Amino acid sequence: MRPGTPRRPALLSAAGLAVFIGAWEAAVRSGVLPASLVPAPSAIPQALIGEIRNGSWFTAIGESLGHYLIGVCLGSLLGIVAGAAVALLPRFAAVQAWIARLLRPIPPLAWIPFTLIWFGPSQAAAAFIIGVGVFWLNYFATWSAVETVDEGLVELAAAFGQGGFARRLGKVILPAALPGMLSGVRSGLGQGWMAVVAAELFGIPGIGQRMNEAAGVLATNVLVLYMLTIALLYGMTDLMFERVTRRFLAWTRA
Amino acid sequence: MSGAGEMIVELTGLAFGHPGDASGRNVLEGLDLSLKRGGFTAIVGPSGVGKSTLLRVVAGLAAARRGEVRLLTRPAPDRRTAALVFQDARLMPWRRVLGNVEFGLEGLALDAAARRRRAEAALDLVGLLDAAGRWPGQLSGGQRQRVGIARALAVSADLLLMDEPFSALDAITRHALQDELLRIWRETGTTILFVTHDLDEATYLAERVVLLAGSPARIARDVAIRTPHPRARNGLDGYVSDLRRALEETFVGGAGI
Repeated sequence: MRPGTPRRPALLSAAGLAVFIGAWEAAVRSGVLPASLVPAPSAIPQALIGEIRNGSWFTAIGESLGHYLIGVCLGSLLGIVAGAAVALLPRFAAVQAWIARLLRPIPPLAWIPFTLIWFGPSQAAAAFIIGVGVFWLNYFATWSAVETVDEGLVELAAAFGQGGFARRLGKVILPAALPGMLSGVRSGLGQGWMAVVAAELFGIPGIGQRMNEAAGVLATNVLVLYMLTIALLYGMTDLMFERVTRRFLAWTRA
Repeated sequence: MSGAGEMIVELTGLAFGHPGDASGRNVLEGLDLSLKRGGFTAIVGPSGVGKSTLLRVVAGLAAARRGEVRLLTRPAPDRRTAALVFQDARLMPWRRVLGNVEFGLEGLALDAAARRRRAEAALDLVGLLDAAGRWPGQLSGGQRQRVGIARALAVSADLLLMDEPFSALDAITRHALQDELLRIWRETGTTILFVTHDLDEATYLAERVVLLAGSPARIARDVAIRTPHPRARNGLDGYVSDLRRALEETFVGGAGI
């Protein structure tokens, strides 16, 4: 253990969070922060109850989750396939090189005007915007994961009569690249939530739109409620992903 | 079943150059080499001379520019003609020990139960059956190398090609594995072609030592070691100094560099 490493880090983390919330509450109550602009933490449960009662909370979560899942799944899948193809097929890599260089720097949010023209404020539009960002993360993660697969293992497969493309791919390249590919998927999970809210702020139904409405009537406690909701959803998806993939990557901890 | 003097490998007029080498320079040239079935032959020579390359050509992983590689083995759907053991063990970290040994068997006509049986028998032969369920990351260097040997043994190859398999190990482990290899060789009767840069190792293990030297490499010496096993370590100074002299001559002649 390094000197200065706390014996119970979770306890300290909880204390840090408690102090942060306490200071925030005190600042609002004492008038240091104007209550009209910053809600007190104690006002948030009330917002939660209100949003649950009028049905908005679950509806907004359901809509956002729908955009998110479609966008993340499609973006990840296409990104993995494209990234692997670039690493494995030199011709394909050459064909797409300048196209990728052209499209890559465009931020996902810059696609919002076009998606609204193409799809209207719909689920497809939100999923597209989310998918664009997630795609590139997976594309680069998979590309580099596949490209850095140990050549020695490829030779090993050939030496034991399993050098054909399908066997090489299934028995060497994909398992070897899996940790890198999954870390790309995981960063996509985070990036996806950012894009969800941004897309919905432009009028696509979901958490972002509900935040826009709350901002219009200065219901700041509702705004904070949804910010926390996103944090919660991200935390849950990340945790679930970690749990599900853990068993596939047991060997990396050996 | 194997008559005395029956050959298993015949290389004639072999020349090899790396396909990417634009100069067209050969690494190996004019190699003629025949290996007797059941024999233990060591290939020695300075680093970079082309010993591993020769092994890869015999294994069919690289194509010769000229000449012929004949493997006089009896092909069968449930065994491989040749199996390689690498210097770096080369285990798949995502497969457990048993899975790594089974890998070589997956290209053969065997059902899962037969694969498992043969993999376990091979692990038993190298003394690692107890470790079948462990990950490669949990093994020592010597254990990893044993698994690599078990993987090669499992496919029941007529010809075991070993590429400096013990050179990355500490001296104690290396000596233990050398003796283990001699035991396995006796028990299985397999033919071994063993590449090493260590003359002591070559003369301790092999019945025949072939010295590769020059650029392009040729056979500079071909020595039969008649001392029976078990041999004393460092007890073959005569052979070693003879080979060392031959090695130095090729350097002095300028051809070795």
